[in-house]
Amino acid sequence: MTTETLIWLIPLPPALAFFLIVLFTNKNKALSHTVGVGAAVLSWLASMVVFFRALSVEHLGEHPFVSSVNWLPTGDTWFRIGVAIDPLGAAVLFFVSITIFMIFLYSVGYHNFGQPAGDHDRKGLPPHGATVTDEHGHQHVVPSVEPMYSRFFAFLGLFAFGMYTLVVSDNLLTLFVGWEIMGLCSYLLIGFWYGKPSARAAAIKAFMTTRIGDVFMLLGIGLLYSLTGTLNFREIFGNEELMHTLATPGTTLFGLSLAGLIALLLFIGTVGKSAQWPLHVWLPDAMEGPTPVSAMIHAATMVSAGVYAVIRMFPLLSLDHNTMTVVAFIGTFTAIFAATIAVAQNDIKRVLAYSTISQLGFMIAALGIGAYVAAAFHLVTHAFFKALLFLGSGSVIHGMEHGVLHTGNHSVDPQDMFNMGGLRKKMPITFWTFLIGGFALSGFPLLTAGFWSKDEILADAWANGHLAVFITLATAAFLTAFYTMRQITLTFLGEPRTKEAEHAQETPWTMTVPLMVLSVFAIGYGWVGIPEDFPLLGGLLPSWFHEFVGGTLAEHPEVIPFNPVPLTVSLVVALGGLLLGWLYYRNVNSAKEDFFQIPLLKNKYHFDEAYQVVFIGPVIWLSEVFTKWADQGVIDGILHFFGPATGGIGAFIRNKIDLPIINEFIGDGLAAVTQETGRTLRPIQTGRIQQYMMLSLVILAVVGALLYFMLGAGL
Amino acid sequence: MIPLSWYLIFAAGLFSLGLFGVLARRNAVAILLGVELMLNAVNINLAAFWRYGNVADMTGQVFAIIVFAVAAAEVAVGLALVISVYRSRNTVVADEIDMLKW
Amino acid sequence: MNFIYEHLLLVILFFPTLAALVMLFLPAGENKLLRWFAFGASLVPFILSVWLWTQFDPNVAGYQFEAQYPWYEALHSSLHLGVDGLSLTMVMLTTLLTPIALLASFSINDRVKAYMMLFLFLETGMLGVFMAVDLLIFFVFWEVGLVPMYFLINQWGSPKGEREVRSIFGKFTMSARNYASLKFMIYTMGGSLGLLLAVQMLGVLFGNYDLQYITANWSGYTKDLMGISVSTVKTVAFWAFVIAFAVKVPLWPFHTWLPDAHTEAPTAGSMILAGVLLKLGAYGFLRLVLPLYPAEAKYFAGALAFLATAAIVFGAFASFGQTDFKRLVAYSSVNHMGFVVLGIAAAASAVGTQDATIALNGAVLQMFNHGLSAAGMFFLVGVIYERTHTRNLDDFGGLFPLVPVYGGILIFTRMASLGLPGLNGFISEFLVVRGSLPLLPVYTAVSMLGLLMTGAYILKGIKQVLHGPLNEHWAHGEHKLTEINTREILVMAPLMILILVIGLWPAWILDVINKAMMMLF
Repeated sequence: MTTETLIWLIPLPPALAFFLIVLFTNKNKALSHTVGVGAAVLSWLASMVVFFRALSVEHLGEHPFVSSVNWLPTGDTWFRIGVAIDPLGAAVLFFVSITIFMIFLYSVGYHNFGQPAGDHDRKGLPPHGATVTDEHGHQHVVPSVEPMYSRFFAFLGLFAFGMYTLVVSDNLLTLFVGWEIMGLCSYLLIGFWYGKPSARAAAIKAFMTTRIGDVFMLLGIGLLYSLTGTLNFREIFGNEELMHTLATPGTTLFGLSLAGLIALLLFIGTVGKSAQWPLHVWLPDAMEGPTPVSAMIHAATMVSAGVYAVIRMFPLLSLDHNTMTVVAFIGTFTAIFAATIAVAQNDIKRVLAYSTISQLGFMIAALGIGAYVAAAFHLVTHAFFKALLFLGSGSVIHGMEHGVLHTGNHSVDPQDMFNMGGLRKKMPITFWTFLIGGFALSGFPLLTAGFWSKDEILADAWANGHLAVFITLATAAFLTAFYTMRQITLTFLGEPRTKEAEHAQETPWTMTVPLMVLSVFAIGYGWVGIPEDFPLLGGLLPSWFHEFVGGTLAEHPEVIPFNPVPLTVSLVVALGGLLLGWLYYRNVNSAKEDFFQIPLLKNKYHFDEAYQVVFIGPVIWLSEVFTKWADQGVIDGILHFFGPATGGIGAFIRNKIDLPIINEFIGDGLAAVTQETGRTLRPIQTGRIQQYMMLSLVILAVVGALLYFMLGAGL
Repeated sequence: MIPLSWYLIFAAGLFSLGLFGVLARRNAVAILLGVELMLNAVNINLAAFWRYGNVADMTGQVFAIIVFAVAAAEVAVGLALVISVYRSRNTVVADEIDMLKW
Repeated sequence: MNFIYEHLLLVILFFPTLAALVMLFLPAGENKLLRWFAFGASLVPFILSVWLWTQFDPNVAGYQFEAQYPWYEALHSSLHLGVDGLSLTMVMLTTLLTPIALLASFSINDRVKAYMMLFLFLETGMLGVFMAVDLLIFFVFWEVGLVPMYFLINQWGSPKGEREVRSIFGKFTMSARNYASLKFMIYTMGGSLGLLLAVQMLGVLFGNYDLQYITANWSGYTKDLMGISVSTVKTVAFWAFVIAFAVKVPLWPFHTWLPDAHTEAPTAGSMILAGVLLKLGAYGFLRLVLPLYPAEAKYFAGALAFLATAAIVFGAFASFGQTDFKRLVAYSSVNHMGFVVLGIAAAASAVGTQDATIALNGAVLQMFNHGLSAAGMFFLVGVIYERTHTRNLDDFGGLFPLVPVYGGILIFTRMASLGLPGLNGFISEFLVVRGSLPLLPVYTAVSMLGLLMTGAYILKGIKQVLHGPLNEHWAHGEHKLTEINTREILVMAPLMILILVIGLWPAWILDVINKAMMMLF
């Protein structure tokens, strides 16, 4: 099979799995997950084949795998859609396919496959546990299987389809198609337990917030399309004349060039999708979904998609300096802003959620300062270790839920880190893998992938003279290490703080195997991007990533010369943050003792409340009060004037003209006269035939006589 | 040859008899008889005018024969009506048959 | 066969009427027979129009399958029928939706015979508008469609509900369906008064009503008329046309009949109303306004776009503000049809350019797509209304576990209406936006607000009906909500399949539309 055909086929298995599960196998849990995981395996295999074939092509950036077909007729021309795999696409495809496969596998265990159905479980609510009796007659409460097990795999399949479509697209429109399908799936999956009002609200919030970005993105796509006549990446970026026209400064609003305006519109889409400030509010709430979903959304697919789209559009973005500044600002600000909030969160998944926002900020900031490869590199490594962390936190929660079921005390929140502690002994695999993920996130030097990618961003910022960005990101990196260690310490170290934590249990192999696989990448993937001139280590392994992904751009980005300053800074912030976090939190046993429970941070700077007042309130007012008033008050009011007014005119005509004049005078009058005449003449009609004949004889005689005399008189 | 006027006077007399019968008799059957007399008076006229007019032209005779046929039919219908009226009203007196009244 | 082929349009047009007349002689009480007869009869035009579609050559300009029959010779008006790519698409939509609507009406038990007959008459009325190549015929069928609809709403509409009418003359109440049907009838009639006058003026001017003849001569007509300058006359006539069609589309602020009529109409009535009748207005814009008044349309494109944008934005906001499920869906029609008119307005401002063609492609496809998704949505609202006898969103909640299949179908259809990529709505909305953006950038940008709110009201519907804590009232006992049945799934199946197919591979239909738009303008 040619590589192009294979690329076309990559997104198909998950989509087919979705339809198969929805239409046919939804009653059968085992069959459903077989179909789902099988589809993920197929896509993964295809992706790997494509990836390795891509590796073997020299100068893939100039000769990517492409294939396209006519899709929409647009006047004399056709809009073509197709697939393309260039180095960036291949790199993204690599991590996407692996994480998606792992998440599918993990979901089997997470949703308690093989466990009995729950006692009172209901569709739309998380499983509450089932009571079983063992051979000794003892009753235990054990985790129960998710009642909507099959549906979960169907949604995951659709989600995977969306992501694969996005990655293999050769144009902005099908990228947007995948983008929106993921939006739908995130809505469905965040609201998976739709019976909970909080999940329902979170799902809508996620969809609507990202949709704000999406409509701007759609405008951007429309604008780009109408200016260039195509949405194909290579056709746009490869057309130098066109790019030059687009880059002419000051042609649109605020002195932006056309390219800047389009890039800005597209970037707003990313702000929504990748949860950048000020559209970040949906992502922490999205933690209402089941944990594999959080991993899916935060690591492998959706938020990465946002960053991926900006990386894709980088040639356009980089044409306008102003837009770059905006992007850099948003990224940098989000990085520090979210990191500060993460410090004050107690929910194990929410910490990771804010951490994700912050890390995405790193990538966006990197793009804003022109560090193309660094952004892509961090995107990949982050996907691995953040998926690992989310799945790990899911494993922790799962273990804690086991403890909750054991004690039967449902008031204990299995996600609150202050209810945990000492889990390293209970859940060793989870602990070690989580530790690896956490260290990678913190940028633990040399060993972890996160170090190499984050270091590259900082080095770029330093080398290109963006000092403010550098300092802010360094601070954010410090906070990252700090809250990560806080999380690890509170969760795994020390002694169990609750009975539930004492009875926590290691999770089944379907959950731990993905953790182990992902930790391999969380460490190893960093080694493919070690700068050539790094002291000691540089040159041991080729700096493959830079070479490969950098080849995507027409002008290969320069390799930044080694500089000890950013290296030192990143060493200090990572190690310092980790150390401080451990030193402080090993002694903290409850939320009250925690110095960082600052209300402003805990309440996320009150953004939710502010949006409620500034945007949602007026919208609801406009919808419910204004439109009702406008439609039923004003417009219908005018109509209701016509109705009765016409009725009034009708009544006037009837009562004043028709009835008295036409009816009574003319109509009835004529009738009365005729009737009276008839009544008067009635006696003539005797009914006797002989009288009639007599009469007619007389009349005949009279008429005859008259005629005779008159005619006879010569008249 | 007897002059034409004799026939005409005779026919007029016969017609007047018939007319008197129709107007003055009370019995409906008698009224019908009057009608027949009047028709026959017409026939006499027709025959006489034919004889004294163009003999080769048969119109007068033909017309008289049609009148016979009509008279026969008329009497048949008329008598049937009279009998029908008699059955329902038990009378054949014309004055008492005033169903045509308003 | 040869006869049918030669008179294909005539057969398609009058077969429903014929079937309705045959129904007169069927026994009144045999509901099952009547339903199946009507359904079967409505399948015939559908099959014939599929045949028509296959025989149609999209590469040929002008009308095809043209046929002319004597009608009103004294006025030089004839029953002149013909289809091009635009009307063919609409004929397809009509003949497809009618059997579906009839299948959806199998739950009607009250005066089945009259109901089914009215529906078949309605089909003839709608088809006539799409096939007419004669202005007078166009107008006649335009009005013919109103009458069956009036009775469907008035007689088979939702039995409950009172409507208080307030005006400066005081207030009074009348039954809601009576109010709605009256409003529908009078609004549309009022709108088409100007149309009738304008049509008559053209007829008097040219001595016949043939659309092709008038189109060829009218736009170049420069003599003064009745002592008034021709530009004034044209402007007035243009607005007479526009208002008639704007009421039907409906454009803001002529839209207030729509939520009432849709809400009170029987389920199948709403399906046809939203699915086809609204398209008559948009079709009128494309068939008559743009070809007859290119200069005026270009001059007033901004005004038209303003009204369209207002419909998009206010429709979306109003929809979000509703608590009645059906009314929510009804307002969404205002929102979606706004995009059709936006595309038309954009095209009017620059006829012949590629942007205009794309906008028109989008507008026509949006007409077709909205027909599918709106019909589906009204049917789904009807399904739940039949079971619960309430449309109030607050009375539902958490019904998903009770009716998973229904829920899945509802979400699917809702998403089509939201414009989710991969489903049909996206293609058309994207094309409209793409076409309008360079021509009318400000209006297009503002209409994005409507697109955003579309998401809000659609999610609100799903949230209130399916999601959230289960309303126990529907879970047990006599009120227990039953799952959507096979017949109802069969109603939805063709719609859903088309929604998906057009979403994934729109070229088969868009190609026909595209070529028609290229040749028409």
